[in-house]
Amino acid sequence: MEESAVYLLCLAASSGVPLYCRSKGSSKQLTFSVIGSLNGVHMFANNQDVLLTATCTGNTRVVWRAFHDSINLIVMSSESAASDHSLHKLLENVFGAMVLVIGLDELTNIKNVERLKKDLRACYKLIDSFLMENEKMGDLTQCVDCVIANDTAILQECLDDFTQAAESNFGCLIAGGKVVAATEKWWRLSSQEVMLLCWLVASLPPNSSRDYPVYLPQGSPTVPHRLLTFQLVPGVDVCVLCGPSPSLQKVENELVERFWKPVVDPLRACLRVQMRSFPASVPIHRGILSLLLVNRDLNKSLHTVQAHPAEDVQNPDLKLALAQRRLALRSFYTLAMSRYFTSDHVDGKNSLQFEEPFPNSFTHSAHQCYTVSSTHKCYGMKTEAHLLFLLFSADVPTFSMRAIANKTMQLFSKDFPF
Amino acid sequence: MAGVALPKPGSLLIPDWQQSAEGKEYLNSILRKKKRKHFGLLERPVLPPQLPADIANYKIVVCGKGGVGKTSLIAKLAGLEVPNAHHETTGIQTTCVHWPACPRGSERPVIFRLQFWDCGETALRKFDHILPACKEKGDAVLFVFSFTDRSSFEDVPALISRTLGDDEDLARVVIGTKLDQYMHTDVTEQDLRVFQRTWHLPVMRVRSVNGPRLCDGRSLDGRAGLADAAPVLNGLVELLWHRDQVAPWTLFSEVNWPGGGSTAPRLSPRLPHCAPATLRLYTGPHWEDIAWATITGHVEASPIRTGRGQQPLYSDRSLCIMTKTAI
Ligand SMILES: Nc1nc2c(ncn2[C@@H]2O[C@H](COP(=O)(O)OP(=O)(O)OP(=O)(O)O)[C@@H](O)[C@H]2O)c(=O)[nH]1
Ligand SMILES: [Mg+2]
Repeated sequence: MEESAVYLLCLAASSGVPLYCRSKGSSKQLTFSVIGSLNGVHMFANNQDVLLTATCTGNTRVVWRAFHDSINLIVMSSESAASDHSLHKLLENVFGAMVLVIGLDELTNIKNVERLKKDLRACYKLIDSFLMENEKMGDLTQCVDCVIANDTAILQECLDDFTQAAESNFGCLIAGGKVVAATEKWWRLSSQEVMLLCWLVASLPPNSSRDYPVYLPQGSPTVPHRLLTFQLVPGVDVCVLCGPSPSLQKVENELVERFWKPVVDPLRACLRVQMRSFPASVPIHRGILSLLLVNRDLNKSLHTVQAHPAEDVQNPDLKLALAQRRLALRSFYTLAMSRYFTSDHVDGKNSLQFEEPFPNSFTHSAHQCYTVSSTHKCYGMKTEAHLLFLLFSADVPTFSMRAIANKTMQLFSKDFPF
Repeated sequence: MAGVALPKPGSLLIPDWQQSAEGKEYLNSILRKKKRKHFGLLERPVLPPQLPADIANYKIVVCGKGGVGKTSLIAKLAGLEVPNAHHETTGIQTTCVHWPACPRGSERPVIFRLQFWDCGETALRKFDHILPACKEKGDAVLFVFSFTDRSSFEDVPALISRTLGDDEDLARVVIGTKLDQYMHTDVTEQDLRVFQRTWHLPVMRVRSVNGPRLCDGRSLDGRAGLADAAPVLNGLVELLWHRDQVAPWTLFSEVNWPGGGSTAPRLSPRLPHCAPATLRLYTGPHWEDIAWATITGHVEASPIRTGRGQQPLYSDRSLCIMTKTAI
C-alpha cells in the first residue's frame, strides 16, 4: 500500500455487498477482489467462531469491526501514527456517524441495499472529516474539543437563556468546530454523541441556519431529534436539540437576535483564541510545546499544538513542526491510554478491550507516565477529574516534567477551571 | 398571485445599476479583499454614512427533484463553493444572500436580504414538519428543474401543486439549472415558451459553476461571482419588489389609533383566513409587513422587526390593514 494512505470500507454483513469506500492519501480504488478477500477472511473466521479484529503487514494495519451483526467496517492504514487503538476509535466514530445521520433501524434492518447506499452518502462529509482531520483530538479521545473563551461566563448565560426560550434543555455554542459553552443537559449526552454533534456541524457547508434530523447513537438511535443550528457570525454556530417544536423560522426570527445581538463582540472574540484554544493570558511553561487536557467528568477536552501565542504561524517550518507535535501527542495519548491508564477508561461503555493492558498481572494502575525521545519528551498524568498529556521540547530536564505537569494541572483546576 | 402581471425586466429596478459608480460603492459592502463577504445572522452589510440604504428581508423556498441543483444554485448566488459532487441535502439548510439594487424613482437603494430555504427531497418525504416550516412566512418559492433531466421539467406543474395550495400567496418562480451542459440538454427553448404561455410563470435559467479564482488559486473571485449571479438576483428582487409595491392590495379595515405608542395595538375586526404574509400594515409613510402578526381575531404586531426601515411600527396615528386575497 502507498505511504500514509487510509482506506475505509463498509459492507453489509449478511450479503457482503460493499456499501461505500472512503479513502485518504490515495487516488487508487480498491479492486473488488481485494474488498472481497478482506471481507472473506473476516467471514471465514466468524464461521469458525474466531473473532478477527486486527492484523498488520510491513507498513499497513488492518482492523475489522462488526456492528450489530449487520454492518462490517474495515480500515486499512499505512499512516505511521496508526495504531489498533486509534483505528478502533475511527471505526466507532464512523459507525456512530452513520447512526447519527440515518438512524439505527435502517442500518440493522437492511431492506433495500441500493436505497441504503444512497442514504449513506449523507454521512460522507462527516466520515471524511474523521479521516482527514488535522487539528482536533476529539476523534481519538471521543471527548469533544473545546475552547476557553475570554467571556465564557457571559456566553454561557446567553446560551442557557436562549436554549430555554427555544423550549429545549440541550444547547451548545460552537466556534471554529470547537465547543465554547454547552448547557448542563448537553454535557449529559454520551461523550460520543457530544463529539459527533460538534463534528457534524463542523463538517457541514456554511449555512445561515439548519434544521437537521439527528439520531443520537446512545440516547435515541431510532427516533430522530431536530438539531437546529444558527450561524451567529461566520464560524460561530449555536445549536439546540429539539422535538417537533418550535419551528426553525420561529427560533430564528424571535430569539436569535434577541439573545445574541448584545454579545456579538464576545462571539467574534471566540474565533481569536482558536489556534491556542485558550486565551493568551493563560501562562503556560515555556518548555511545553503542546497540551491535551481531558475533563473526565464532562468528557470534554482542551488541546493545543501551539502553547505559546507568540509563535509565527505563517512560518512554513512552524507549520510542519505543528503537524509533528500533533502526531507526537496523539501517539503518546494512544500509548498511555492503551497501556497505562486503561483501568477505568473515560468512556467506560466500551466493553471490548482490544489491546493487552500493561503488566497484566498488576492490580494497581499507573497515574503518571512519561517518554523521552531525541526530539521531544512527553508526560502524562491522571487525576480524579482530569487526564493531562504534555509534549515538551527535548531540552526540558526530565526530572522537572512532573513539577511542570502538576503546576499546569493546578492552573486548569483553579485559575482557569476546565 | 394569479392575475398580477409580471413586471417587465428593468421596469421597477434600474437595470445594471450595480455597474454604475454609485452601485459599485454599494457592492463594496458585500465584498472584502476581492472575495465575497459572508454575514452571520447577527450581521448586516455596513455602509458608510453617506450611502444610505433600506434593508428588505425576503424568505425564498427552493424546491425540486433530488440532484437538479438546488444547493448548487444557492451556493452560486451566495458566492460559496459550488459542490462538484452530489451530496443530498439533509433536512433544511438556509442561506442569506445580500444584494443591493435601486428601485426606479427612489432616493435610496435597497439592500435585499434574501434568505433561501433549501430542503432535500428525501427529507421532505421522510419528515412532515419540513414543508410547513419552509413555507411559514415565506415570500416566494423557486421551483427548480434541470435542463439535463426532462422529467424534472415535466414534473414542475405537479411539483407546484404538491408544494403550494391555491390559497397560498407566495410568488412562484421556475428556474432551470445546468444550462452550461448544453450538449446534454433535454429541454428546448420551444418547451419553455409553451410552458410560459400555459402557466404564466417567470422562468429563469442558470449555470451554477464556479467562476474564476483569485491569484492565490483557492478563493473564488467575489466580483466575477457577483457578475454571474446578477441576472438571477436582479430577476428575483424585481419580482419580489413588484409583488410588494405594485400588486393591488385591498383595504380591509382602518383603525384610528391616536398617538401611536410602543405597545401592540389590539384590533377588533375579524381578519380573513389567509396566509399571514398577505397582510400588511400601513403606518404613515411606509408599508410594513406584519408577517409575524398572530391572526387570532386581533393583530399583535411586534416591534422587533420591520419590513423596510428599522424603526418600530407604531409611529403614526392611523393603521390600515390591507390584504391581497379577496375577502
Ligand atoms: N454543470 C453543472 N452542474 C451542476 C449545476 N447545478 C448543479 N450541478 C451538479 O449537480 C449535482 C447535484 O447538485 P445539488 O445542488 O447537490 O442538487 P440538489 O438539488 O441540491 O440535490 P438534493 O439536495 O439531493 O435535493 C452536483 O454534482 C452539482 O455539481 C449546473 O448549473 N451546472
Ligand atoms: Mg441539495
